[in-house]
Amino acid sequence: MISFINVNCTFGKKAGVKNINFSVNGGEFIFLTGPSGAGKSTILRLIYMDLFPEKGKVIIRNYNSNNIRDREIPYLRRKVGMVFQDFRLLPDRNVYQNVALSLYVSHYKTSEIKKRVYGVLNQVGLGHRVHYRPSELSGGEQQRVAIARALVKEPVVILADEPTGNLDPRVSIDLMSLLNKINKKGTAIIVATHNYSLIQRIPGARLIQIDEGEIVNIT
Amino acid sequence: MTVFWFLIREGFKGLIRSKYAGAFSVIIIAISLILVGFGYVASRDTLFLVENIRAQFDVDIFLHKTASSEEIDNFAALLDSMTEVRNVHYISPENAAVKFKKEFGEDIFDILDYNPLPPSFTISLKPIYRNLVSVESIASILSNKPVVDEVKYRKQFLILLEKYQRIVLITVMAVFAFLALLSIILTSNSIKMTIFARRELISTMKLVGATNNFVRWPFIIEGTLQGFIGSCLASLFIYGIFYFLNNYLQTVIEYKAIVSFRFYIGIVISGSLLGLIGSRRAIRKFLK
Ligand SMILES: Nc1ncnc2c1ncn2[C@@H]1O[C@H](COP(=O)(O)OP(=O)(O)O)[C@@H](O)[C@H]1O
Ligand SMILES: [Mg+2]
Repeated sequence: MISFINVNCTFGKKAGVKNINFSVNGGEFIFLTGPSGAGKSTILRLIYMDLFPEKGKVIIRNYNSNNIRDREIPYLRRKVGMVFQDFRLLPDRNVYQNVALSLYVSHYKTSEIKKRVYGVLNQVGLGHRVHYRPSELSGGEQQRVAIARALVKEPVVILADEPTGNLDPRVSIDLMSLLNKINKKGTAIIVATHNYSLIQRIPGARLIQIDEGEIVNIT
Repeated sequence: MTVFWFLIREGFKGLIRSKYAGAFSVIIIAISLILVGFGYVASRDTLFLVENIRAQFDVDIFLHKTASSEEIDNFAALLDSMTEVRNVHYISPENAAVKFKKEFGEDIFDILDYNPLPPSFTISLKPIYRNLVSVESIASILSNKPVVDEVKYRKQFLILLEKYQRIVLITVMAVFAFLALLSIILTSNSIKMTIFARRELISTMKLVGATNNFVRWPFIIEGTLQGFIGSCLASLFIYGIFYFLNNYLQTVIEYKAIVSFRFYIGIVISGSLLGLIGSRRAIRKFLK
Protein backbone atom coordinates (compact mmCIF):
# COMPACT_ATOMS: atom_id res chain seq x y z
CA MET A 1 0.00 0.00 0.00
CA ILE A 2 2.91 2.35 0.84
CA SER A 3 6.34 1.83 -0.65
CA PHE A 4 9.50 3.89 -0.36
CA ILE A 5 12.04 2.91 -2.98
CA ASN A 6 15.56 4.35 -2.58
CA VAL A 7 14.17 7.66 -1.44
CA ASN A 8 16.41 10.66 -0.88
CA CYS A 9 14.98 13.91 0.34
CA THR A 10 17.56 16.26 1.78
CA PHE A 11 17.73 19.85 2.90
CA GLY A 12 21.18 21.18 2.32
CA LYS A 13 24.10 18.84 3.04
CA LYS A 14 23.29 16.60 5.98
CA ALA A 15 19.64 17.17 6.92
CA GLY A 16 16.74 15.19 5.54
CA VAL A 17 16.51 11.48 4.72
CA LYS A 18 18.64 9.21 2.53
CA ASN A 19 18.28 5.84 0.95
CA ILE A 20 14.95 4.97 2.52
CA ASN A 21 13.39 1.62 1.60
CA PHE A 22 10.37 0.13 3.28
CA SER A 23 6.79 -0.80 2.61
CA VAL A 24 3.63 -0.87 4.64
CA ASN A 25 0.68 -3.17 4.06
CA GLY A 26 -2.95 -2.37 4.70
CA GLY A 27 -3.95 -2.65 8.36
CA GLU A 28 -0.44 -2.58 9.82
CA PHE A 29 0.59 -0.61 12.92
CA ILE A 30 4.02 0.97 12.49
CA PHE A 31 6.22 2.93 14.86
CA LEU A 32 8.67 5.30 13.21
CA THR A 33 11.19 6.03 15.92
CA GLY A 34 14.43 7.85 16.33
CA PRO A 35 15.83 10.86 18.09
CA SER A 36 14.51 14.25 17.28
CA GLY A 37 15.91 15.52 13.97
CA ALA A 38 16.31 11.96 12.65
CA GLY A 39 13.89 12.49 9.73
CA LYS A 40 10.59 11.06 10.99
CA SER A 41 8.45 14.05 10.05
CA THR A 42 10.17 14.21 6.68
CA ILE A 43 9.09 10.63 5.95
CA LEU A 44 5.49 11.37 6.92
CA ARG A 45 5.46 14.50 4.76
CA LEU A 46 6.71 12.38 1.86
CA ILE A 47 3.74 10.07 2.39
CA TYR A 48 1.09 12.80 2.19
CA MET A 49 3.13 14.41 -0.58
CA ASP A 50 3.86 17.65 1.12
CA LEU A 51 7.45 16.90 0.09
CA PHE A 52 8.81 15.06 -2.94
CA PRO A 53 11.92 12.89 -3.17
CA GLU A 54 14.99 14.05 -5.05
CA LYS A 55 15.85 10.48 -5.84
CA GLY A 56 13.79 7.29 -5.80
CA LYS A 57 10.01 7.23 -5.49
CA VAL A 58 7.19 7.04 -3.00
CA ILE A 59 4.17 4.99 -3.99
CA ILE A 60 0.90 5.34 -2.08
CA ARG A 61 -1.70 2.94 -3.50
CA ASN A 62 -2.01 4.04 -7.12
CA TYR A 63 -0.22 7.38 -6.70
CA ASN A 64 3.44 7.70 -7.61
CA SER A 65 5.44 10.68 -6.34
CA ASN A 66 7.25 10.89 -9.67
CA ASN A 67 4.22 11.49 -11.82
CA ILE A 68 1.39 12.64 -9.54
CA ARG A 69 -0.18 15.89 -10.72
CA ASP A 70 -0.80 18.82 -8.39
CA ARG A 71 -4.52 18.45 -8.76
CA GLU A 72 -4.42 14.77 -7.78
CA ILE A 73 -2.86 15.48 -4.39
CA PRO A 74 -6.19 16.40 -2.70
CA TYR A 75 -7.56 13.00 -3.72
CA LEU A 76 -4.54 11.26 -2.21
CA ARG A 77 -5.05 13.20 1.03
CA ARG A 78 -8.65 12.09 1.27
CA LYS A 79 -7.28 8.59 1.72
CA VAL A 80 -4.58 9.58 4.23
CA GLY A 81 -5.50 10.93 7.67
CA MET A 82 -3.08 13.23 9.46
CA VAL A 83 -2.62 13.91 13.17
CA PHE A 84 -0.04 16.31 14.59
CA GLN A 85 1.55 17.08 17.92
CA ASP A 86 -0.07 20.54 17.96
CA PHE A 87 -3.55 19.21 16.95
CA ARG A 88 -4.07 21.87 14.23
CA LEU A 89 -7.76 22.36 14.92
CA LEU A 90 -9.53 25.51 13.77
CA PRO A 91 -10.11 27.61 16.89
CA ASP A 92 -13.19 29.43 15.60
CA ARG A 93 -15.19 26.25 14.89
CA ASN A 94 -16.69 23.74 17.22
CA VAL A 95 -15.82 20.05 17.37
CA TYR A 96 -18.54 19.06 14.91
CA GLN A 97 -17.49 21.68 12.36
CA ASN A 98 -13.81 20.78 12.67
CA VAL A 99 -14.52 17.15 11.90
CA ALA A 100 -17.18 17.85 9.25
CA LEU A 101 -14.77 20.06 7.27
CA SER A 102 -12.94 16.90 6.31
CA LEU A 103 -16.07 15.60 4.54
CA TYR A 104 -17.32 18.89 3.10
CA VAL A 105 -14.12 19.21 1.10
CA SER A 106 -14.84 15.80 -0.42
CA HIS A 107 -18.34 16.82 -1.51
CA TYR A 108 -20.41 14.59 0.78
CA LYS A 109 -24.11 15.22 1.37
CA THR A 110 -25.16 16.94 4.59
CA SER A 111 -27.13 13.96 5.85
CA GLU A 112 -24.19 11.63 5.24
CA ILE A 113 -21.80 14.08 6.89
CA LYS A 114 -23.98 14.28 9.99
CA LYS A 115 -24.25 10.53 10.31
CA ARG A 116 -20.54 9.95 9.90
CA VAL A 117 -19.38 12.81 12.15
CA TYR A 118 -21.62 11.76 15.05
CA GLY A 119 -20.55 8.16 14.54
CA VAL A 120 -16.85 8.93 14.63
CA LEU A 121 -17.16 11.35 17.58
CA ASN A 122 -18.83 8.61 19.59
CA GLN A 123 -16.10 6.22 18.52
CA VAL A 124 -13.37 8.51 19.95
CA GLY A 125 -15.46 9.17 23.06
CA LEU A 126 -16.42 12.77 22.37
CA GLY A 127 -20.15 12.37 21.73
CA HIS A 128 -20.80 14.79 24.59
CA ARG A 129 -18.45 17.52 23.34
CA VAL A 130 -19.92 18.09 19.90
CA HIS A 131 -20.58 21.82 20.32
CA TYR A 132 -17.44 22.71 22.25
CA ARG A 133 -14.71 24.91 20.86
CA PRO A 134 -11.17 23.46 20.85
CA SER A 135 -10.17 26.01 23.51
CA GLU A 136 -12.79 24.53 25.84
CA LEU A 137 -11.25 21.05 25.61
CA SER A 138 -8.30 19.39 27.30
CA GLY A 139 -5.25 18.45 25.25
CA GLY A 140 -6.27 14.80 25.16
CA GLU A 141 -9.74 15.72 23.95
CA GLN A 142 -8.34 18.03 21.28
CA GLN A 143 -6.14 15.24 20.00
CA ARG A 144 -9.20 12.96 19.85
CA VAL A 145 -10.94 15.58 17.72
CA ALA A 146 -7.93 15.56 15.42
CA ILE A 147 -8.09 11.78 15.25
CA ALA A 148 -11.82 11.93 14.53
CA ARG A 149 -11.13 14.40 11.74
CA ALA A 150 -8.61 12.01 10.21
CA LEU A 151 -10.78 8.94 10.76
CA VAL A 152 -14.03 10.35 9.40
CA LYS A 153 -12.65 10.20 5.86
CA GLU A 154 -12.31 6.43 6.26
CA PRO A 155 -8.67 6.64 5.27
CA VAL A 156 -6.49 3.67 4.43
CA VAL A 157 -3.80 4.99 6.76
CA ILE A 158 -3.54 7.48 9.59
CA LEU A 159 -0.20 9.27 10.01
CA ALA A 160 0.42 10.56 13.53
CA ASP A 161 3.45 12.82 14.06
CA GLU A 162 4.35 12.85 17.77
CA PRO A 163 0.64 12.60 18.66
CA THR A 164 1.35 12.42 22.40
CA GLY A 165 4.05 15.09 22.38
CA ASN A 166 1.85 17.61 24.16
CA LEU A 167 0.00 15.15 26.41
CA ASP A 168 0.80 13.82 29.85
CA PRO A 169 1.65 10.10 30.22
CA ARG A 170 -1.75 8.86 31.40
CA VAL A 171 -3.59 10.64 28.58
CA SER A 172 -0.94 9.37 26.16
CA ILE A 173 -1.69 5.79 27.14
CA ASP A 174 -5.42 6.33 26.53
CA LEU A 175 -4.67 7.87 23.16
CA MET A 176 -2.48 4.92 22.13
CA SER A 177 -5.25 2.49 23.04
CA LEU A 178 -7.67 4.54 20.93
CA LEU A 179 -5.27 4.29 17.99
CA ASN A 180 -4.94 0.58 18.66
CA LYS A 181 -8.73 0.20 18.60
CA ILE A 182 -8.92 2.05 15.27
CA ASN A 183 -6.15 -0.13 13.89
CA LYS A 184 -8.03 -3.29 14.91
CA LYS A 185 -10.88 -2.18 12.65
CA GLY A 186 -8.53 -2.25 9.68
CA THR A 187 -6.96 1.19 9.29
CA ALA A 188 -3.19 1.19 8.96
CA ILE A 189 -1.47 3.52 11.41
CA ILE A 190 1.99 5.05 11.35
CA VAL A 191 3.08 6.78 14.55
CA ALA A 192 6.25 8.88 14.48
CA THR A 193 7.68 9.32 17.96
CA HIS A 194 10.89 9.69 19.87
CA ASN A 195 9.15 8.30 22.96
CA TYR A 196 10.14 4.62 23.03
CA SER A 197 7.88 3.85 25.98
CA LEU A 198 4.84 4.11 23.70
CA ILE A 199 5.98 1.12 21.67
CA GLN A 200 5.22 -1.43 24.35
CA ARG A 201 1.59 -0.22 24.33
CA ILE A 202 1.00 -1.84 20.96
CA PRO A 203 2.11 -5.44 21.00
CA GLY A 204 2.79 -6.72 17.53
CA ALA A 205 3.48 -3.32 16.01
CA ARG A 206 6.26 -3.06 13.45
CA LEU A 207 9.20 -0.84 14.16
CA ILE A 208 11.19 1.37 11.79
CA GLN A 209 14.11 3.01 13.53
CA ILE A 210 15.89 5.88 11.88
CA ASP A 211 18.87 7.93 12.80
CA GLU A 212 20.46 10.84 10.96
CA GLY A 213 18.17 10.34 8.02
CA GLU A 214 18.76 6.63 7.48
CA ILE A 215 16.95 3.49 8.53
CA VAL A 216 19.04 1.70 11.14
CA ASN A 217 16.62 -1.05 12.10
CA ILE A 218 13.40 -2.36 10.66
CA THR A 219 11.14 -5.19 11.84
CA MET B 1 -25.85 21.10 -3.71
CA THR B 2 -24.38 20.57 -0.24
CA VAL B 3 -21.05 21.82 -1.53
CA PHE B 4 -22.64 24.89 -3.08
CA TRP B 5 -24.33 25.92 0.15
CA PHE B 6 -21.28 25.06 2.19
CA LEU B 7 -19.14 27.41 0.09
CA ILE B 8 -21.71 30.22 0.21
CA ARG B 9 -22.11 29.79 3.96
CA GLU B 10 -18.35 29.71 4.47
CA GLY B 11 -18.07 32.91 2.45
CA PHE B 12 -20.61 34.70 4.63
CA LYS B 13 -19.25 33.28 7.87
CA GLY B 14 -15.74 34.18 6.81
CA LEU B 15 -16.82 37.79 6.74
CA ILE B 16 -17.80 37.54 10.39
CA ARG B 17 -14.89 35.35 11.41
CA SER B 18 -12.33 37.69 9.94
CA LYS B 19 -13.53 40.35 12.40
CA TYR B 20 -11.25 43.40 12.42
CA ALA B 21 -9.28 42.46 9.33
CA GLY B 22 -12.55 42.03 7.43
CA ALA B 23 -14.01 45.27 8.75
CA PHE B 24 -10.77 46.99 7.81
CA SER B 25 -11.06 45.70 4.23
CA VAL B 26 -14.62 46.89 3.99
CA ILE B 27 -13.59 50.35 5.17
CA ILE B 28 -10.64 50.48 2.79
CA ILE B 29 -12.90 49.53 -0.10
CA ALA B 30 -15.43 52.15 0.99
CA ILE B 31 -12.77 54.86 1.18
CA SER B 32 -11.34 53.90 -2.21
CA LEU B 33 -14.75 54.05 -3.82
CA ILE B 34 -15.59 57.34 -2.17
CA LEU B 35 -12.41 58.78 -3.69
CA VAL B 36 -13.15 57.25 -7.08
CA GLY B 37 -16.80 58.36 -6.91
CA PHE B 38 -15.94 61.97 -6.11
CA GLY B 39 -13.10 61.83 -8.63
CA TYR B 40 -15.54 60.69 -11.28
CA VAL B 41 -18.10 63.41 -10.59
CA ALA B 42 -15.43 66.11 -10.34
CA SER B 43 -13.81 65.12 -13.64
CA ARG B 44 -17.13 64.73 -15.39
CA ASP B 45 -18.27 68.17 -14.27
CA THR B 46 -14.94 69.82 -15.05
CA LEU B 47 -15.02 68.48 -18.60
CA PHE B 48 -18.67 69.45 -18.84
CA LEU B 49 -17.82 72.95 -17.67
CA VAL B 50 -15.13 73.31 -20.32
CA GLU B 51 -17.54 72.11 -22.99
CA ASN B 52 -20.10 74.57 -21.73
CA ILE B 53 -17.71 77.45 -21.99
CA ARG B 54 -16.86 76.37 -25.51
CA ALA B 55 -20.54 76.12 -26.38
CA GLN B 56 -20.95 79.82 -25.66
CA PHE B 57 -18.54 80.64 -28.41
CA ASP B 58 -20.09 82.26 -31.47
CA VAL B 59 -19.15 84.39 -34.45
CA ASP B 60 -20.66 87.78 -35.32
CA ILE B 61 -20.82 88.81 -38.97
CA PHE B 62 -21.58 92.46 -39.74
CA LEU B 63 -22.82 93.29 -43.20
CA HIS B 64 -22.49 96.59 -45.04
CA LYS B 65 -25.23 99.01 -44.17
CA THR B 66 -26.00 99.26 -47.82
CA ALA B 67 -26.84 95.53 -48.19
CA SER B 68 -30.15 94.99 -49.89
CA SER B 69 -32.70 92.62 -48.45
CA GLU B 70 -32.05 90.27 -51.38
CA GLU B 71 -28.33 90.23 -50.60
CA ILE B 72 -29.12 89.56 -46.98
CA ASP B 73 -31.40 86.66 -47.89
CA ASN B 74 -28.77 85.17 -50.19
CA PHE B 75 -26.15 85.48 -47.51
CA ALA B 76 -28.47 83.84 -44.95
CA ALA B 77 -28.99 80.95 -47.38
CA LEU B 78 -25.22 80.63 -47.81
CA LEU B 79 -24.70 80.45 -44.05
CA ASP B 80 -27.43 77.85 -43.75
CA SER B 81 -25.79 75.70 -46.37
CA MET B 82 -22.36 75.65 -44.66
CA THR B 83 -21.65 72.31 -42.96
CA GLU B 84 -19.70 73.96 -40.14
CA VAL B 85 -22.62 76.11 -39.08
CA ARG B 86 -25.06 74.86 -36.53
CA ASN B 87 -27.24 77.86 -35.91
CA VAL B 88 -27.88 81.12 -37.76
CA HIS B 89 -29.44 84.12 -36.08
CA TYR B 90 -30.21 87.29 -38.07
CA ILE B 91 -30.24 90.67 -36.34
CA SER B 92 -31.82 93.44 -38.38
CA PRO B 93 -30.77 97.09 -37.74
CA GLU B 94 -34.04 97.59 -35.88
CA ASN B 95 -33.43 94.62 -33.63
CA ALA B 96 -29.88 95.81 -33.12
CA ALA B 97 -31.23 99.14 -31.88
CA VAL B 98 -33.49 97.36 -29.42
CA LYS B 99 -30.57 95.26 -28.28
CA PHE B 100 -28.44 98.37 -27.94
CA LYS B 101 -31.03 99.95 -25.70
CA LYS B 102 -31.19 96.86 -23.59
CA GLU B 103 -27.43 96.64 -23.22
CA PHE B 104 -26.55 100.29 -22.77
CA GLY B 105 -29.76 101.66 -21.34
CA GLU B 106 -29.90 104.47 -23.89
CA ASP B 107 -31.97 104.87 -26.98
CA ILE B 108 -29.70 105.20 -30.00
CA PHE B 109 -32.18 107.67 -31.57
CA ASP B 110 -31.67 110.03 -28.64
CA ILE B 111 -27.98 110.29 -29.54
CA LEU B 112 -28.20 110.21 -33.30
CA ASP B 113 -31.17 110.94 -35.45
CA TYR B 114 -30.56 107.90 -37.61
CA ASN B 115 -29.83 104.23 -36.93
CA PRO B 116 -26.08 103.60 -37.52
CA LEU B 117 -26.30 99.90 -36.77
CA PRO B 118 -25.73 97.50 -39.62
CA PRO B 119 -27.60 94.25 -40.23
CA SER B 120 -25.70 91.33 -38.74
CA PHE B 121 -25.70 87.59 -38.22
CA THR B 122 -24.66 85.64 -35.18
CA ILE B 123 -23.73 82.08 -35.99
CA SER B 124 -22.79 79.24 -33.73
CA LEU B 125 -20.60 76.42 -35.03
CA LYS B 126 -20.91 72.70 -34.62
CA PRO B 127 -18.82 71.54 -31.63
CA ILE B 128 -15.97 70.03 -33.67
CA TYR B 129 -15.44 73.34 -35.54
CA ARG B 130 -15.16 75.40 -32.36
CA ASN B 131 -11.39 75.58 -32.59
CA LEU B 132 -8.96 78.23 -33.70
CA VAL B 133 -7.99 76.69 -37.05
CA SER B 134 -11.55 76.10 -38.26
CA VAL B 135 -12.82 79.42 -37.01
CA GLU B 136 -10.02 81.32 -38.73
CA SER B 137 -10.65 79.65 -42.06
CA ILE B 138 -14.41 80.20 -41.81
CA ALA B 139 -13.88 83.83 -40.88
CA SER B 140 -11.56 84.44 -43.82
CA ILE B 141 -13.98 82.86 -46.29
CA LEU B 142 -16.84 84.97 -44.97
CA SER B 143 -14.88 88.25 -44.85
CA ASN B 144 -14.14 87.86 -48.54
CA LYS B 145 -17.82 88.03 -49.43
CA PRO B 146 -18.61 91.52 -50.84
CA VAL B 147 -21.68 91.88 -48.66
CA VAL B 148 -19.66 91.34 -45.46
CA ASP B 149 -18.13 94.29 -43.70
CA GLU B 150 -16.49 92.59 -40.72
CA VAL B 151 -16.29 89.19 -38.99
CA LYS B 152 -15.77 89.28 -35.26
CA TYR B 153 -15.06 86.52 -32.76
CA ARG B 154 -13.18 86.16 -29.49
CA LYS B 155 -9.85 84.94 -30.72
CA GLN B 156 -8.05 85.33 -27.41
CA PHE B 157 -10.76 83.29 -25.71
CA LEU B 158 -10.25 80.41 -28.14
CA ILE B 159 -6.48 80.49 -27.72
CA LEU B 160 -6.75 80.37 -23.93
CA LEU B 161 -9.39 77.67 -23.99
CA GLU B 162 -7.31 75.44 -26.21
CA LYS B 163 -4.28 75.93 -24.04
CA TYR B 164 -6.01 75.11 -20.77
CA GLN B 165 -8.36 72.48 -21.98
CA ARG B 166 -5.53 70.04 -22.64
CA ILE B 167 -4.07 70.70 -19.20
CA VAL B 168 -7.44 70.20 -17.55
CA LEU B 169 -8.13 67.02 -19.48
CA ILE B 170 -4.75 65.48 -18.71
CA THR B 171 -4.92 66.44 -15.04
CA VAL B 172 -8.41 65.05 -14.66
CA MET B 173 -7.49 61.78 -16.37
CA ALA B 174 -4.31 61.42 -14.33
CA VAL B 175 -6.06 62.05 -11.03
CA PHE B 176 -8.84 59.64 -11.90
CA ALA B 177 -6.46 56.91 -13.06
CA PHE B 178 -4.40 57.38 -9.93
CA LEU B 179 -7.45 57.03 -7.69
CA ALA B 180 -8.63 53.93 -9.54
CA LEU B 181 -5.20 52.32 -9.31
CA LEU B 182 -4.88 53.25 -5.67
CA SER B 183 -8.21 51.66 -4.89
CA ILE B 184 -7.21 48.41 -6.61
CA ILE B 185 -3.91 48.23 -4.73
CA LEU B 186 -5.44 49.12 -1.37
CA THR B 187 -8.25 46.63 -1.79
CA SER B 188 -6.00 43.82 -2.92
CA ASN B 189 -3.65 44.41 0.01
CA SER B 190 -6.31 44.62 2.67
CA ILE B 191 -7.93 41.44 1.36
CA LYS B 192 -4.52 39.81 1.42
CA MET B 193 -4.36 40.70 5.10
CA THR B 194 -7.71 39.12 5.85
CA ILE B 195 -6.63 35.96 4.06
CA PHE B 196 -3.27 35.98 5.77
CA ALA B 197 -5.04 36.12 9.11
CA ARG B 198 -6.71 32.83 8.21
CA ARG B 199 -3.93 30.95 6.44
CA GLU B 200 -4.46 28.31 9.10
CA LEU B 201 -7.86 27.57 7.58
CA ILE B 202 -6.30 27.28 4.14
CA SER B 203 -3.59 24.88 5.27
CA THR B 204 -6.09 22.79 7.25
CA MET B 205 -8.44 22.54 4.30
CA LYS B 206 -5.59 21.47 2.05
CA LEU B 207 -4.45 18.97 4.65
CA VAL B 208 -7.81 17.22 4.73
CA GLY B 209 -7.96 17.04 0.94
CA ALA B 210 -9.60 20.19 -0.37
CA THR B 211 -8.87 21.10 -3.98
CA ASN B 212 -7.54 24.59 -4.68
CA ASN B 213 -10.87 25.56 -6.18
CA PHE B 214 -12.69 24.48 -3.07
CA VAL B 215 -10.36 26.55 -0.89
CA ARG B 216 -10.63 29.52 -3.21
CA TRP B 217 -14.40 29.94 -3.40
CA PRO B 218 -15.26 30.96 0.17
CA PHE B 219 -12.56 33.63 0.01
CA ILE B 220 -13.78 34.94 -3.32
CA ILE B 221 -17.35 35.07 -2.03
CA GLU B 222 -16.14 36.80 1.10
CA GLY B 223 -14.08 39.32 -0.90
CA THR B 224 -17.01 40.07 -3.19
CA LEU B 225 -19.24 40.60 -0.15
CA GLN B 226 -16.67 42.92 1.36
CA GLY B 227 -16.64 44.86 -1.89
CA PHE B 228 -20.42 44.96 -1.98
CA ILE B 229 -20.75 46.19 1.61
CA GLY B 230 -17.91 48.67 1.21
CA SER B 231 -19.44 50.11 -1.95
CA CYS B 232 -22.88 50.39 -0.33
CA LEU B 233 -21.26 52.37 2.48
CA ALA B 234 -19.45 54.52 -0.08
CA SER B 235 -22.70 55.15 -1.96
CA LEU B 236 -24.47 56.19 1.23
CA PHE B 237 -21.62 58.51 2.14
CA ILE B 238 -21.48 60.13 -1.29
CA TYR B 239 -25.26 60.46 -1.35
CA GLY B 240 -25.17 62.16 2.04
CA ILE B 241 -22.45 64.59 0.99
CA PHE B 242 -24.21 65.49 -2.24
CA TYR B 243 -27.50 65.88 -0.44
CA PHE B 244 -25.90 68.26 2.03
CA LEU B 245 -24.11 70.15 -0.75
CA ASN B 246 -27.20 70.52 -2.90
CA ASN B 247 -29.53 71.49 -0.10
CA TYR B 248 -27.56 73.45 2.46
CA LEU B 249 -24.40 74.73 0.83
CA GLN B 250 -25.87 76.56 -2.14
CA THR B 251 -25.26 79.91 -0.47
CA VAL B 252 -21.55 79.11 -0.18
CA ILE B 253 -20.84 77.47 -3.50
CA GLU B 254 -22.93 77.70 -6.60
CA TYR B 255 -22.52 74.12 -7.67
CA LYS B 256 -24.94 71.27 -7.60
CA ALA B 257 -23.68 67.72 -7.91
CA ILE B 258 -26.26 65.91 -9.97
CA VAL B 259 -25.85 62.14 -10.28
CA SER B 260 -28.35 59.56 -11.39
CA PHE B 261 -29.27 56.32 -9.69
CA ARG B 262 -27.07 54.61 -12.27
CA PHE B 263 -24.04 56.28 -10.70
CA TYR B 264 -24.69 54.53 -7.38
CA ILE B 265 -25.39 51.23 -9.13
CA GLY B 266 -22.06 51.72 -10.90
CA ILE B 267 -20.28 52.22 -7.59
CA VAL B 268 -21.80 49.08 -6.11
CA ILE B 269 -20.92 47.02 -9.17
CA SER B 270 -17.36 48.37 -9.26
CA GLY B 271 -16.98 47.70 -5.55
CA SER B 272 -18.16 44.12 -5.84
CA LEU B 273 -15.90 43.54 -8.83
CA LEU B 274 -13.03 45.13 -6.94
CA GLY B 275 -13.62 42.68 -4.09
CA LEU B 276 -13.92 39.74 -6.45
CA ILE B 277 -10.77 40.52 -8.42
CA GLY B 278 -8.86 41.54 -5.29
CA SER B 279 -9.64 38.31 -3.48
CA ARG B 280 -8.92 36.18 -6.54
CA ARG B 281 -5.52 37.82 -6.83
CA ALA B 282 -4.84 37.62 -3.10
CA ILE B 283 -5.76 33.95 -2.62
CA ARG B 284 -3.47 32.84 -5.43
CA LYS B 285 -0.41 33.52 -3.27
CA PHE B 286 -1.65 31.28 -0.48
CA LEU B 287 -2.47 28.30 -2.64
CA LYS B 288 1.06 27.72 -3.90
N1 LIG C 1 12.01 22.45 5.52
C1 LIG C 1 13.22 22.14 6.01
N2 LIG C 1 14.30 22.88 5.64
C2 LIG C 1 15.52 22.58 6.08
N3 LIG C 1 15.79 21.56 6.90
C3 LIG C 1 14.77 20.79 7.30
C4 LIG C 1 13.42 21.05 6.89
N4 LIG C 1 12.60 20.12 7.42
C5 LIG C 1 13.40 19.31 8.16
N5 LIG C 1 14.69 19.71 8.09
C6 LIG C 1 15.83 19.06 8.72
O1 LIG C 1 15.78 17.70 8.35
C7 LIG C 1 16.12 16.89 9.48
C8 LIG C 1 15.01 15.93 9.78
O2 LIG C 1 13.90 16.68 10.24
P1 LIG C 1 12.56 16.01 10.73
O3 LIG C 1 12.09 15.08 9.69
O4 LIG C 1 11.64 17.09 11.13
O5 LIG C 1 13.05 15.21 12.01
P2 LIG C 1 12.18 14.53 13.15
O6 LIG C 1 10.74 14.64 12.78
O7 LIG C 1 12.66 13.13 13.19
O8 LIG C 1 12.51 15.24 14.42
C9 LIG C 1 16.42 17.82 10.63
O9 LIG C 1 17.81 18.01 10.69
C10 LIG C 1 15.71 19.11 10.23
O10 LIG C 1 16.41 20.18 10.78
MG1 LIG D 1 9.26 15.74 13.78
